[in-house]
Amino acid sequence: MSDDAKQSAVRCTLNGRPRRDFVPDNMLLVDFLRETVGLTGTKIGCDGGECGCCTVLIDGEPRHACLTLAAVCDGAEIETIESLDTGGRLAAIQRGFNEKLGAQCGFCTPGMVMAAEGLLRENPNPTDDDIRAGLAANICRCTGYVKILEAVHFAADELAGRDKEAAA
Amino acid sequence: MEYMPDFKLHRPDNIEDAVKLRAEEPDALFVAGGTDMIVNVRRGIEQPKHLIDITAIEELKSILRDGDGLHIGAGVSLKELQSNADVLRDYPAVGEAARAVAGPTHQEYGTVGGNLCLDTRCLFYNQSEWWRQSNDYCLKERGDTCHVAPGGKRCFAAFSGDMAPSMLVYGAEIDVAGPNGRRRMPLTDLYRNDGMAHLTLEAGDMLTAVHLPKALAGSPSRYEKARVRGSIDFPLAGAAVRLEMDGKTVKDFVVALTAVNPYPQIAKGTDAYVGRELTDEALDEIRELVRKQAKPMRTTTVAPWYRRRVVGALARRRTEEFAG
Amino acid sequence: MNEIKKDVKPAKVIGVPRPLIDGPEKVSGKALYTADFIPYDHMVGRIFRSPVAHANIIEVDTSKAEALEGVLGVVTGDDCDEGFGVLPIARYEYPMARERVRYRGEPVAAVAAVDVETAQKALDLIEFKYEELPAYFTSEEAMAPDAVSLHEHREGNIERDVDYDLGDVDGGFADADLVLEREYNCAEICQVQSEPHAAIAEYDAERDYMTVRASTQVPFYVHLMLAKTLKMDQSRIRMIKPHIGGGFGCRTECLNVELICALLARKAKGTVRLVVNREETFITHRGRPETDVKLKVGMKKDGTITAVDCQAIQRGGAYGGYGIVTILYAGSLINGIYQLDAVRYNGLRVLTNTPPPGAMRGHGTVDVRYGFEAILDELSVELGLDPIEVRRRNLLKEPYETLNEMFINSYGLPEALDIVEKESGWKDKRGKPGKDGDGKYRGLGVGCAHYPCGASKPVNWTGEPHATVHLKLDWDASITVLTGAPEIGQGSSTMVAQCAAEVLGLDMTRFQVHSGDSKLVPKDNGAYSSRITYMVGNASIEAAQNLKTILVEAAAKKLDARPEDIECLGEVYRAASQDEGLTFEEVVMAALEGTGTITVKGNFDTLPESHGTKKFRGGAIGGSMAYAYAAEVVQVAVDPDTAEVEVEQVWVAQDVGRALNPLSVEGQIQGSVWMGMGQAFCEGTRFHNGLPITGNMLDYRVPSIVESPPIDTHIVESVDPNGPYGAKEAGETSLAAFIPAYTNAIADALGVRPIDLPVTPDRLMELIEARETEERVAAARDSSVAAE
Repeated sequence: MSDDAKQSAVRCTLNGRPRRDFVPDNMLLVDFLRETVGLTGTKIGCDGGECGCCTVLIDGEPRHACLTLAAVCDGAEIETIESLDTGGRLAAIQRGFNEKLGAQCGFCTPGMVMAAEGLLRENPNPTDDDIRAGLAANICRCTGYVKILEAVHFAADELAGRDKEAAA
Repeated sequence: MEYMPDFKLHRPDNIEDAVKLRAEEPDALFVAGGTDMIVNVRRGIEQPKHLIDITAIEELKSILRDGDGLHIGAGVSLKELQSNADVLRDYPAVGEAARAVAGPTHQEYGTVGGNLCLDTRCLFYNQSEWWRQSNDYCLKERGDTCHVAPGGKRCFAAFSGDMAPSMLVYGAEIDVAGPNGRRRMPLTDLYRNDGMAHLTLEAGDMLTAVHLPKALAGSPSRYEKARVRGSIDFPLAGAAVRLEMDGKTVKDFVVALTAVNPYPQIAKGTDAYVGRELTDEALDEIRELVRKQAKPMRTTTVAPWYRRRVVGALARRRTEEFAG
Repeated sequence: MNEIKKDVKPAKVIGVPRPLIDGPEKVSGKALYTADFIPYDHMVGRIFRSPVAHANIIEVDTSKAEALEGVLGVVTGDDCDEGFGVLPIARYEYPMARERVRYRGEPVAAVAAVDVETAQKALDLIEFKYEELPAYFTSEEAMAPDAVSLHEHREGNIERDVDYDLGDVDGGFADADLVLEREYNCAEICQVQSEPHAAIAEYDAERDYMTVRASTQVPFYVHLMLAKTLKMDQSRIRMIKPHIGGGFGCRTECLNVELICALLARKAKGTVRLVVNREETFITHRGRPETDVKLKVGMKKDGTITAVDCQAIQRGGAYGGYGIVTILYAGSLINGIYQLDAVRYNGLRVLTNTPPPGAMRGHGTVDVRYGFEAILDELSVELGLDPIEVRRRNLLKEPYETLNEMFINSYGLPEALDIVEKESGWKDKRGKPGKDGDGKYRGLGVGCAHYPCGASKPVNWTGEPHATVHLKLDWDASITVLTGAPEIGQGSSTMVAQCAAEVLGLDMTRFQVHSGDSKLVPKDNGAYSSRITYMVGNASIEAAQNLKTILVEAAAKKLDARPEDIECLGEVYRAASQDEGLTFEEVVMAALEGTGTITVKGNFDTLPESHGTKKFRGGAIGGSMAYAYAAEVVQVAVDPDTAEVEVEQVWVAQDVGRALNPLSVEGQIQGSVWMGMGQAFCEGTRFHNGLPITGNMLDYRVPSIVESPPIDTHIVESVDPNGPYGAKEAGETSLAAFIPAYTNAIADALGVRPIDLPVTPDRLMELIEARETEERVAAARDSSVAAE
């Protein structure tokens, strides 16, 4: 464990809740989330930036928690897979992955879902090509991605439907 | 918990403090997005005692347009770069190159400066500490043998950034801040043909901005890279082409290459085509011209001769598009 | 009391697409995988790995590491002298090397420490002294006459030599109008399942009791090997399988990771968490071995195959693992897809100083199937025949017994071929050479494959049923399915519940599945060889039938009727003559009255005739109760300037017997097709003097979503007479068919035929250039002839 001189104070918002922590300078965000906070939804699938399993949203944008130091998240808003559901119900993107079998073993799923969530916030109506471009940093070994495309479309449609209802 | 070497993190909010810190601590490194640097730290390739995170420096994050051209802060993310209307309109290869780096998530926080200063890569270098130790390290790092060309005393690790060629074709300049103040220099002078020390920056220097000249705004350009997968992979070879035609003849023509040498470079000899028509014969010559200047070595799993061949094919293809 | 509706019907569960029973946990991040168990007081485990490929161990000095503050346990090869391995005849691998190390990265020692920094420091303090031996990284080097044997009991470094000759092979070649001989080198590949290996072992020193969680496809094999290597009574070990992040065969045998973790936990007297990284997961390996396939096939002018001669040499790595089975499967599964009357096979499994391969998806068959389907294409083209017609010409007629005593009772390949031929526009699009408007060359190729539904004889069989399922019915009127079948993402828990639900006519919401605790669930052989749907599905059906009998009897008693008059409608049981009935809850109360909670059992056993005989060596291997079939057509677009190949579309039709859950079946088929694509175009390991160059996910390239094609997926239902509701396997068959379909498509597009795998751009470019040179030479010759 690092000595005190090699620690930093971090004030961040994690899944909507403000936090204050004192973290070792060399601690990766993924370890902070999993081992310090106990949010194990974010996964580690490679030795750094190659698989996308650790994708979280920082200030709304997808980011590898395995290449991000926890200490640089001072002032950041961090969202993990655990933050998406509302009132215990799956979010649209999660429902898409469940209903369309976008998740088989489920290990890449948290990262994949967060990348897709980031994509949908930026582009609520993506084409197949948009989805391919948006999820291109996330490796899935089970699905061949066919049903992941369907899952994202499902979520986009559900969100659009809700928007229409809200407008009406 | 992932094993990480011990270091002290600094987060200066201005360039001067960052450069000062770097000058004070010989074992310090700058880190921006960290998409490459943190990987190297995790693997023990870099073992800094101090890591200077420069993402809190606002000055590095802006894209400004003025009468001289476009000024891009080194801390601008590749995502922002590829979404910038000025870039897309006036310097299209730059946007294209930003979209070609690694994958979309890397582009969200990977930076322009980081990609320009990217370390060179090699199969024998980009491996874990256990791996490199078991292999007696290499010329580039702690060892005395080059495993690519045993017996040689040169390092052939390939520069693998995508941004450099797209900016080189525009004659980009860079700002460097160092212990002795700030200076401006051509981007091409940032590099030298040496896999061990491919950057000309002195200890304590920080690349702070890139300037794309107004005079060439709107000059048509493309960047294309060869890779096995459609994403994530570093380039096996990459070529940027900027070509202006005057009717049927060439008016201005620059090709820049990446991933086929230890440094990104402007291909020599393209000015000989100014005033000429781009016939099939000329295009074939250009392909060969480019190939001759590419000297990749066995630094990737894909054969070097393929990288040489494909870089010529990419340059020819992109040139032909404009010629058509 | 619930009101009984008049129009109640039994729930329809089978054949209805449905999400996975554990889907919501997975998409919400709540599913716990092994590495997600992080108790506060755990110790961090780390492995010291050999830096050299082959050496006699002189000393492993751990004294400095042990003396380091914060180190709570260190183990070496001296701490375990019991070998492990999946085959009882090949258990000569140790959790940590003893006497010799045989591949770079082989575990030599391990430490448990208070944190990762201390553990790393301790590793750095271990002194490993060794005397290097010659090391062999290819099959050829290892088989050289003067090569040092890796293992004393495996002379010449041959793990297994298989040889058989069935039918009149020489006569067959003599009858052929065309005989081709080809050699295919297929690179070693890895599973690269998303989850790196992990184990967490909790040793209770007070009770001498061990609890292990591990990322495995075979928790009960691990249980067995833990008992063996720890020399503990099996009853003192509890094995828990949490959620598993994929397997594809790399966890089909016990790995050193979980054994080392348990050894450390006992030594350190506490809880040790050993989560290895991606590089170590690559080194632990158990992927598909590099295979050199030499094939000779004879064909008549009408497309009839007359004889097959196949040699397969597999680079088997440093230890046996599944090796003997892999080399036997490679030969066995030449049979069973077409009518073949003469087959000769020679298989060599070689020991080398590389990490040991294992039983990767499509175990044994894939590389030989690739060669076979590629040579079939070449024969077809040379004889001027349509490759799909040639396959039709050689279809078998079920019921069929192969030369090696495999029994084919259901066979949907003819229909699968029809579908992909029609859907792909095969007749219009194939065989159109030349460049398209966009400068690309397009082509179509076909490939077929098959795969067994579990081995009729398990590799480690002690006489128990092949599968056992328990159903627990409790006062809450819910049913808990207790199965040892490991859910690893393939959807087995959903399938087991579906089979039971269909029998009882109940909705899936009445069920929950427990699949992962050796102290709760009946023993199961594990998730491999596509055995679960066929075997465990059948056991689940039998268990549900047994439960139904009890419920019907209880309802009969309550309704004062005869059991045979009771109509079971799922949520309602009624006597045929009566209008009113009993709700399911009422029936449950009646059944439990007096007896309490009920647990019923269902078993499944394979038919003895499917075991094969021992008429020839290796005859019983590959035998299964049923085989699934697939036909695939692939369309590629090739850019000859860069040798880049784009897979534009895949059409696949797989005979799965019956699709119990069509959604899940589609997912399995698509994943399988796609994994074949990775092997075809970009995946392969490389070593530098035995060091894995591709031990990361940049240099070992798993396809990204960008280049992954649309897969038009069709399900063929041949309804197997013995499968659960007629079902067969869904997750492995389609992999092998992709690879030849891909290379055949490139051949159709360019007229250049790739041979070795993977077909990387440099390899393809080499072939394109060779042809261009050939053409230039030919053109020069022609012009000089013309000039004369």
